[in-house]
Amino acid sequence: MSASAAFADGPSRPDPAWAAEDAPSRLHRWTEGYAPRPGLADELMGADGGLRGAWPRFLERLARLDDREVAARFLSAERHIRDAGISYRVYGDGREHPWPLGSLPLVIDATDWADLSAGIVQRAALMERIVADIYGAGRLVAEGFLPAGVVAGHPEYLRPVHGITPPGGRWLPIYAADVGRGPDGRWQVLADRTQAPSGLGYALENRMVLARALPDLFSDLQVERLPAFFQAFRAGLAAACKRSDPRICLLTSGPYSSTYVEQAALARYLGLLLVEGDDLAVRDGLLHVRTIAGLKRTDAVWRRIDADYLDPMELRTDSRLGVPGILQVLRQGGAVVGNMPGSGVLESAALAPYLPAIARRLTGEELRLTGPRTWWCGEADNLAHVLDNLDRLTLRPAATPVRGPERDAMLAGPALDAARARAVEALRERPFDWVAQETAPLSTMPAWQDGRLVPRPFVMRVFAAATPEGWRVLPSAFCRVAEHEGDDPSEMRAGIRSADVWVLSDTPIDTPTLVHATTPRIRRIAGHLPSRAADNLFWFGRYLERAEAVIRLVQAHLGVFSEAGTAVIAGEEGTATARRIRALLKEWGCVSAADLPPAAMAQEALSGKKVHGSGLTHVLEARRIAASLRERLPTESWRALADLRDTLVYSEAWAPTEAQLFGKAERALGHLSALAGLSHENMVHAPGWRFADMGRRIERAINTCRFAIDFCGPAASGEDLGVILSLADSQIAYGARYLVGVSRDAVCDMAVLDPYNPRSVAYQVQAIVAHLEALPALAADGLPEPHRRHALTLAATLQTAEAAETDGEALERYELDLEGLADRIAGRYFPNGPDALRPEKLMGLA
Amino acid sequence: MIYTLRHLTTYRYAGLVRSARCNLRLTPRDGEGQRVLESTITVTPTPAARLARRDFFGLDTLTLLLDEPHKEFAVEAVSRIAVERPAPPPEEEGPSWETVRMAALAQPSLGPETPAHFQFPSLRVPLVPAVTDYARASFPPGRSAYGGAVELMRRIRHDFRFDAKATTVSTPLAEAFALKAGVCQDFAHVMIAGLRGLGLPAAYVSGYLRTRPPAGQPRLRGADASHAWVALWCGPEDNPGQGGWIGLDPTNDCVVRDDHIVVARGRDYGDVAPIDGIVSSAGAQTLTVEVDVIPEDEAA
Repeated sequence: MSASAAFADGPSRPDPAWAAEDAPSRLHRWTEGYAPRPGLADELMGADGGLRGAWPRFLERLARLDDREVAARFLSAERHIRDAGISYRVYGDGREHPWPLGSLPLVIDATDWADLSAGIVQRAALMERIVADIYGAGRLVAEGFLPAGVVAGHPEYLRPVHGITPPGGRWLPIYAADVGRGPDGRWQVLADRTQAPSGLGYALENRMVLARALPDLFSDLQVERLPAFFQAFRAGLAAACKRSDPRICLLTSGPYSSTYVEQAALARYLGLLLVEGDDLAVRDGLLHVRTIAGLKRTDAVWRRIDADYLDPMELRTDSRLGVPGILQVLRQGGAVVGNMPGSGVLESAALAPYLPAIARRLTGEELRLTGPRTWWCGEADNLAHVLDNLDRLTLRPAATPVRGPERDAMLAGPALDAARARAVEALRERPFDWVAQETAPLSTMPAWQDGRLVPRPFVMRVFAAATPEGWRVLPSAFCRVAEHEGDDPSEMRAGIRSADVWVLSDTPIDTPTLVHATTPRIRRIAGHLPSRAADNLFWFGRYLERAEAVIRLVQAHLGVFSEAGTAVIAGEEGTATARRIRALLKEWGCVSAADLPPAAMAQEALSGKKVHGSGLTHVLEARRIAASLRERLPTESWRALADLRDTLVYSEAWAPTEAQLFGKAERALGHLSALAGLSHENMVHAPGWRFADMGRRIERAINTCRFAIDFCGPAASGEDLGVILSLADSQIAYGARYLVGVSRDAVCDMAVLDPYNPRSVAYQVQAIVAHLEALPALAADGLPEPHRRHALTLAATLQTAEAAETDGEALERYELDLEGLADRIAGRYFPNGPDALRPEKLMGLA
Repeated sequence: MIYTLRHLTTYRYAGLVRSARCNLRLTPRDGEGQRVLESTITVTPTPAARLARRDFFGLDTLTLLLDEPHKEFAVEAVSRIAVERPAPPPEEEGPSWETVRMAALAQPSLGPETPAHFQFPSLRVPLVPAVTDYARASFPPGRSAYGGAVELMRRIRHDFRFDAKATTVSTPLAEAFALKAGVCQDFAHVMIAGLRGLGLPAAYVSGYLRTRPPAGQPRLRGADASHAWVALWCGPEDNPGQGGWIGLDPTNDCVVRDDHIVVARGRDYGDVAPIDGIVSSAGAQTLTVEVDVIPEDEAA
């Protein structure tokens, strides 16, 4: 997107008052009154009141834009996020929330960043050595550097992992730390993220959006670019694999994961297969992914599900998210999993106080980055100290992260409120479950609020990847800022915004163009289509086509009534044709009753929420499925789906006229054809596209058969034939071909048998035959598989049939045959086909 | 005492099972007062793959992959085992419970015997405040850990009703505690939760118990059952016969000696379940279990 497009909706003429203001005075106005809390470090302003680090460079450049322009740019960023469907879920809340990107990036100068990076690299390497020791030799515990209780008490200490050497040698392909500044202005680690750190994808999305909103600043200010990091991270995963061109999967817990959108974005960006647990299978000590071409070996898994759910054979036996037997594969060196299961034990809050001595013991170095002073209360001396100093310490559970209000209460500091009193009681009962910390409030960064800058608390997650060239730090971060002064931005929820992080280089960035710098696709999505994706794409196509059939039926219904005109009294049943349409709408579950007034009938069939077959229901179903296909559908389709939904949704109070409903249906068909066009023109014509298209075609063929049975029987009236021509969208073609008016056989030929009409049944079947031909076969014996034989037989029948003999009975046979074909396709390619068996637990006390 | 053990488990499925993957934890452990003389496991249908390994807690685990379609899956484990344990220490002896819990944490090892593994909640034994409160009554300040645990065991035996219908294998601990009823698994989990609530290292032990047929009557085939109880870590094993792990059976209110045969020790039932796994099937499954614990003096 060009810069001009980014603020095309902004003001076209500068406001005269602002136009008079020059950049320095604007900057002065923005920062005037900016007052960080005394005693806390702030990114923008030092204790002396001067602007720090890279901020003058950034703000002077930003101040060349007047306030309206700045606001318009930020608005365009927000709009992009909404349109692209970038969202997240709050833990325990089913809804998707649009991603809250704050406006200003956090800017950091190169020297400061280099210092932080060096600390992160040291810490990442240290963490990897610690986890290797915990699950290996156990020297740190044996030599007294690490109490056994710190490890044993953590729920992510996974005993079955003990003794496994990670295939490929890496425990932590990715490491992250949440950092902020201590009161002395030095960077501090507030938490280590070693389990399956999230935020990398959001950091990437934030960058894409903000670089588009502020393209001129972005290129002038020499902002460090991100793609090289992602390439290196992927190279690191690949280097751990045994094969040179490995298949790598991103293992997700599915669309209901709070960060599913970012997982899909990362899979797309890095060219990884996005899979769920039951897409993977263990055979012969190796890991495989279920694809439309059978089980295909997979070399590595980037794990985004919690490790205790990873393997129901050895970890949580009630897990439905994992891959049975995957730990044994790791034990035998058959696949790489990153981060290794069990790495989450490093997230223990009780580890921090032991790190400096461990660093000296393992590396001979002093720890560069430390956190707030912490005591684990499982040691008698520590407990005594903590009990003596309770009023200035914060208590935190050593093992489990506490969420929500309880956490806030504990962090509330010295005030001994109810939650804290409970914590102290629990501390006395089981001291080893607790750590105590000297915590100061979080350091602050400027946020843009109503045309000026205000200091707000922030936390920044910095990422390091294990690459073939050693540890590499993402030259940006996933930053969260509180909208209000007292809020804690440690996790995403209401009132927390995210921010891009710009590291300003002192030297020019050697990237040729902005477009290249922000949105390269590192790879195509490689290899075989996973069965699950095929299934979803097929049904995505079917639901959209079903929605189209319903909408066309509604239009036909409205058309029949408007032609009958005033002769039909409202509420009366209308002609035989109208009755048939109504009966079909009822049969398909589009309406609750077949005897509603025409407008009410049309409205319910289009937009009903309580019926299972309305146009809206099908669109919502398609959208739900699309959520699992984010990495495979053109990005624009997300917006087109939203438009389609918005067109069909209505407010209960609205009683539209028939003409308005007709228009609504027309607009919905427009969006549907936009979606069809996107799929045809913007999707790679690889197997994925073929499944989406097959879904659409099989659905259309079945529906058209149904229409022909109802409106093209031997005794069809002229009105019936008119309806089927309009349902098959073939009136114009018919008019061009036949000048004599409607004839039953001519209409039947055109709607059912004509191989040149893209709406006919025969055309759909031919297209399906072509798709099946292009898909991989399971055996190399040259024989058509049963589902293909089925399609070929049907195609041949339709090719040789004649309209005069295509009576109701023949049409019903075709319809049945088509449904059988859909089942066979599902049985052959999809994980949940009609023959699929559900995995069950062995039950009972054996 | 030498025992012959037979444990036959049969799963029958309503639908055909195409594939199954399961863990068998049926080989009794060696050591700590018992010696395994023989142990075999027979499985039908014949597994496609069979992998034996020793798990973290030292338990011999057999992992099977079945890929022959079947409607019945049977496992028979037979072993011969010699059991001879020392007499338990006098009740109020040994270090105080406050000392024991801190000593447990200070053991500088992550090995399978380390008590720290057994001081924290586990999946099936969460810490339930009501259970901790129940246990606390037996642990006044300074009382010996062992003495308090024996009393707690006695109270559970007295306060809880043995009722095989009251709970199932998946009944949460808090529910069984509220019911004050259940089977050996529930009693063991409740006692462990109480001990761990106070910070004491408590393990779940699976195995078998010798039963004595009524005088003059023959032993009924298959009438025994698998059993579960608790082991408490009573302090470092400084001298032989002091400290270490001592078995306590809250179902029968007795300290474990030669009538108990240990198969495995873990954090809770999940660590030692005799058979678990995943089958791909449609429809219901039924399970029958037959156990025989035959003392050799009796068999002779």
